[in-house]
Amino acid sequence: MNLGVESPWLLTALPLALLPLVGKGMREHAHPGLMLLPPDPLSGLLDWLIRLFAMLAMAGLVLGMAGLHRRGQSVERIGHGAEIVLLLDRSNSMDNSFAGRAPNGNEGEESKSAAARRLLTDFVNRREHDLIGVAEYSTAPLFVMPMTENKEAVKAAIAATATPALAYTHVSKGLGMALSFFERPIVSGSRLIVLVSDGAAAIDPDSEQKLRQWFKEKQVRLYWLFLRTANSPGIYDQPADPRDDNAQAMPERYLHQFFTSLNIPYQAYQAESPDAMKQAIADISRLENLPIHYFERIPRQDLSGLCYRASFILLLLLLALKGAEVKTEAKP
Amino acid sequence: MPEADLLHYRLHWLSGAVYPGAHPGRMSGAGLLFKQHQPLAASNDPRRLDLRASVLDPFEHFHVRAYRQPSRIDVYLLADLSGSMGHAGKQKILTALLRTLARSAFGYGDRFGFIGASESIEPHWLLPTGLHEAAVSRLACRLETAELSGSASGLRNAAAYLPAERALLFLLTDAHFPLAHLRDLLASLQMHDIVPLILWDAGEYRQLPSWGLLSVRDIESSVSRTLVMRPSLRERIIAAYAKRRQHLIGAFRAFGSEPLFIEHCDIPAINRYLHQRAA
Repeated sequence: MNLGVESPWLLTALPLALLPLVGKGMREHAHPGLMLLPPDPLSGLLDWLIRLFAMLAMAGLVLGMAGLHRRGQSVERIGHGAEIVLLLDRSNSMDNSFAGRAPNGNEGEESKSAAARRLLTDFVNRREHDLIGVAEYSTAPLFVMPMTENKEAVKAAIAATATPALAYTHVSKGLGMALSFFERPIVSGSRLIVLVSDGAAAIDPDSEQKLRQWFKEKQVRLYWLFLRTANSPGIYDQPADPRDDNAQAMPERYLHQFFTSLNIPYQAYQAESPDAMKQAIADISRLENLPIHYFERIPRQDLSGLCYRASFILLLLLLALKGAEVKTEAKP
Repeated sequence: MPEADLLHYRLHWLSGAVYPGAHPGRMSGAGLLFKQHQPLAASNDPRRLDLRASVLDPFEHFHVRAYRQPSRIDVYLLADLSGSMGHAGKQKILTALLRTLARSAFGYGDRFGFIGASESIEPHWLLPTGLHEAAVSRLACRLETAELSGSASGLRNAAAYLPAERALLFLLTDAHFPLAHLRDLLASLQMHDIVPLILWDAGEYRQLPSWGLLSVRDIESSVSRTLVMRPSLRERIIAAYAKRRQHLIGAFRAFGSEPLFIEHCDIPAINRYLHQRAA
């Protein structure tokens, strides 16, 4: 319980809560021989209850004025899930349909990014205990959403990709950013990057070196969801002409080879339709269900309303007791 | 002053006072009750010469009849002036009784004195025995407006302010102090004739409400308590007072006096009580 107050100087009024120890606030009737009155446990109990109620009511009012709240804090949680970074391609071609043309708005044809959005939102809905971060890349990597368990935020981040896409595909920088999400050393659960792209690009040797090192260090699994456009080269295609067998001509094939050579758990899905993509995501969802240990952030909670409510109830009680007080004056 | 408003006390003992008064005394003098024969030489009043007794005396002495002289007594009001006696009209009753008793004593020709005791016996609450109504009146005026406080522990020193002769002592108190104190007091006053008047107010116990929260504070000790008044607690309080009454009666009877419990200045009731005890 990390309790805090808005205005600590108001807490100086807290000793006022000790006042009921001094006086009960009831009209006292003089009695000449109190020692003659028999002891009464019920009366004694009520006497102390009145004092206690009054003290609590006063303390509640003072704490309410001072603005008592519970500070934002993190709660340790254990669940089945993974730390997932969704790395989305924001290149121009993502706005095209699987057929390789701009979606014409009929026959249920949708763009690759829209399909990815829809399926990933479903995916996020199904994963209860995951920590999910979102990054995008185009010419440069885009930081969208840090690792969080807040599903609403992740869904909003995915929905934000509905804006028109940007320019080119720079996959190495995107991967670098996705890897930078995994800051803490691994404790439990699995870490994975889900790379959703419809194309690839050559990786320069410098980046390649760094990526190899980071993938090793951070023990990340990689799922590549390759949204293949019709008639474009796939990841497993062999070049027809040996002269075309280079990274510039067939970046997908070479990127796949690079990922395979990383010696990390890696799985590539080549999806040629939304259905195939759905299948791929279901696979990931099924596979990545190791126990995970993480901290859930709980936002700050205002307790002054609670204080006022408690004081109100106590004051009502005291008012009722005051109403039950004997009104007659002592006989003259 | 109507006769009904005076106290009529009679004694069952002989006063040793020299001065004539209204009560049977030990002195011989001008009275109506025959006391004894005395030789003429000892009592040289030939008017009381008893011829028959003189003739019958084989030694031929003259015998003179001696009569019992009615003597006066000292009447004291020993009042408890503790804080509890300032509660609920008790002070008024005290003052009224003071005036009535003083008038009654002066009516008999007796001397009247007052001793008031609170924490200790203060000189300004002492009235030496005398026959001055004005002094009593002044005292009563002061007493009417006085703020009473403290306990009644001074009562135990009252014997030091009383005469060595037997006196009639009206003890007016509410007896809200431990029974041991009462026994000490009665033991120190044993040579006097005590008329204990116990003054309780009905509001203390009989007229408490049946329901409700009642915060009570003791006048003397300032201890405060909250009572959840309900019929069962009220019954218990009344029972506690009845028990206290029995204890007090027992304590007084152990010292040969019967207390009278009064709730207001009920002169006829006190008179009935006085007649009973003289019989």
